[in-house]
Amino acid sequence: MAARTRLPLLLSRNLPLYKHHKQAHTEASVKEPAYPPIVPSLTAKSKSARRRQAEEQIKKICASTVEEKLSLITRVQWMKFVVYPQTFARNADRWYQHFTKTAYIPGLPDKFSLDERGSEQTTVQTTVPGIGDEAFADIRSLVTNVILQERWYTKKRKTFLFRAQEQTFGPLLRNLVAGLTHSLAKYNPQLLLCSLDFDPQVHFYWRRGQRIIPKGHRKGRQEPTRFQIDDCPHSQIRIPQQLKQFTPLEDSYAAEVPEVTYAPNLLPLFRRQYDNNIFTGSKLPDPARYGHTQFHLVPDRYHRDRMERLKQSDQVEVFLRANGIASLFAWTGAQAMYQGFWDREDVTRPFVSQAVITDGKYFSFFCYQLNTVALSVEADSDNPRKNLIWGTESLKLYDGVEDGKVVGLNDGVLKLLVQFLLNQP
Amino acid sequence: MPVTRVLYPLYQLGNPQLRIFRPKWFLTLVRPGKELPSDTVQFRIPLEMTKYDVKNYLEKIYEVPVGAVRTRIQFGTNKKKNHLNQRVKRPDYKVAYVQLAQGQTFAFPDIFPTKERAVAEGSMEELQEKFMEDEKQRQKPDPRRGGVTEWFGL
Repeated sequence: MAARTRLPLLLSRNLPLYKHHKQAHTEASVKEPAYPPIVPSLTAKSKSARRRQAEEQIKKICASTVEEKLSLITRVQWMKFVVYPQTFARNADRWYQHFTKTAYIPGLPDKFSLDERGSEQTTVQTTVPGIGDEAFADIRSLVTNVILQERWYTKKRKTFLFRAQEQTFGPLLRNLVAGLTHSLAKYNPQLLLCSLDFDPQVHFYWRRGQRIIPKGHRKGRQEPTRFQIDDCPHSQIRIPQQLKQFTPLEDSYAAEVPEVTYAPNLLPLFRRQYDNNIFTGSKLPDPARYGHTQFHLVPDRYHRDRMERLKQSDQVEVFLRANGIASLFAWTGAQAMYQGFWDREDVTRPFVSQAVITDGKYFSFFCYQLNTVALSVEADSDNPRKNLIWGTESLKLYDGVEDGKVVGLNDGVLKLLVQFLLNQP
Repeated sequence: MPVTRVLYPLYQLGNPQLRIFRPKWFLTLVRPGKELPSDTVQFRIPLEMTKYDVKNYLEKIYEVPVGAVRTRIQFGTNKKKNHLNQRVKRPDYKVAYVQLAQGQTFAFPDIFPTKERAVAEGSMEELQEKFMEDEKQRQKPDPRRGGVTEWFGL
């Protein structure tokens, strides 16, 4: 009964309040009240709150400087797939194309391929644009000397097991790159300002695709798949100005990227957890912040002869292609990140780098154009941009060394190498 | 496999002229639990068999081009207990994932395909099926009640 009496009592106490309300028109309707927008809570335990937190995080990253951006993007460690550019996995190139959203185009971009075709048609005597015949003869003799130095003049003891490439062709490539860069600096002013690194480290971390966690306390939740590349090219050339794009960005819309629907661990790829790194080979304030050319050495384990012995000759080109895709994506992606572009702020201009992969005798050439770094599931929906890679099959530079002479030095390959180094913005 | 002196059964008159010696190993081709790429085949193999054994086995006996072999050992559960509350161990086994070379692909065959059963019109079977369907429909709870039990209500 007590409860029943209380209600009327309360009402009678509250009712007189309404008597003082004015019923007349007021000016309030003219003045728009400025309320802050209604947004979900930042701290509640709800889906909308989680979404809000993610948005806040994105806003925070967008607003910060490049250095802070990199640290914010790479800060949280989770288990991630480690992508090895030089991989033992069979048919890795298709998978790597999917991970990096890269379309492979056989042959080189128009810039190089036209010249190459011209040289094939009109025999050996055509000149490389930019340098004369004499200069090319100089370079030819330089390359011959470099090869002979390692293969003929020096007496080398027997190398350690599985270190032959590193110990014989490593120094060869080192001399070749240093010599060519030095002698071509006359014709390419960018090379005067360039920075030539030996054994640099290149790291890249990105997210692509997602999975639903099958078991554990986070079961049923969606988790982005993370990838990390830790690359160590033999050498690389960095320049202070950006190379010109090979094709306009819009050309990549029509390119096709192979889709791999399987989980990456079936490649096989393994998951580890350690620091997420994004690194181009130099720290942020370095003025030579754009990539020019990378040189990779094929290790003994994946040498052409060994693959043949294991009856895996079909995997030689696949290996090179996978190496080109992974290494160049990592390097070019890291350059783009150094300019402040990331998953949610996609690149406004394409980034370009080149690579030469060699086992000392065979050279393959790759050109990469990075059109997008928005690869995660949220950013990738209706993003028609694709990264592009051009690549050649491996080409033989020389047949062998006999009696202090290099036999069958291939001028076409040499010209291509020179053209790669002469590429300038 | 360790090199052991093998005592082959003595040849006796009347035995087959050509005697083939096969390894004592058996590979079981299994349907993969999780979907695998089309060039990968999954086997269960004895624990003592190595990758190289698998490769040789498939190449020499079945002439299957093998690209790469990966193996792992599957722990058989020992969670189950018997009536004396002793742990019962299921045996471990080795799983081999074989990647085929030369662009060969393999899909595990559908061994028991579901047959399309055509029921003759006007037969006893058809009547029976129809009756069963009707009965099932009748026994379904009223969807308008929204899962409230039958006995509840006026």
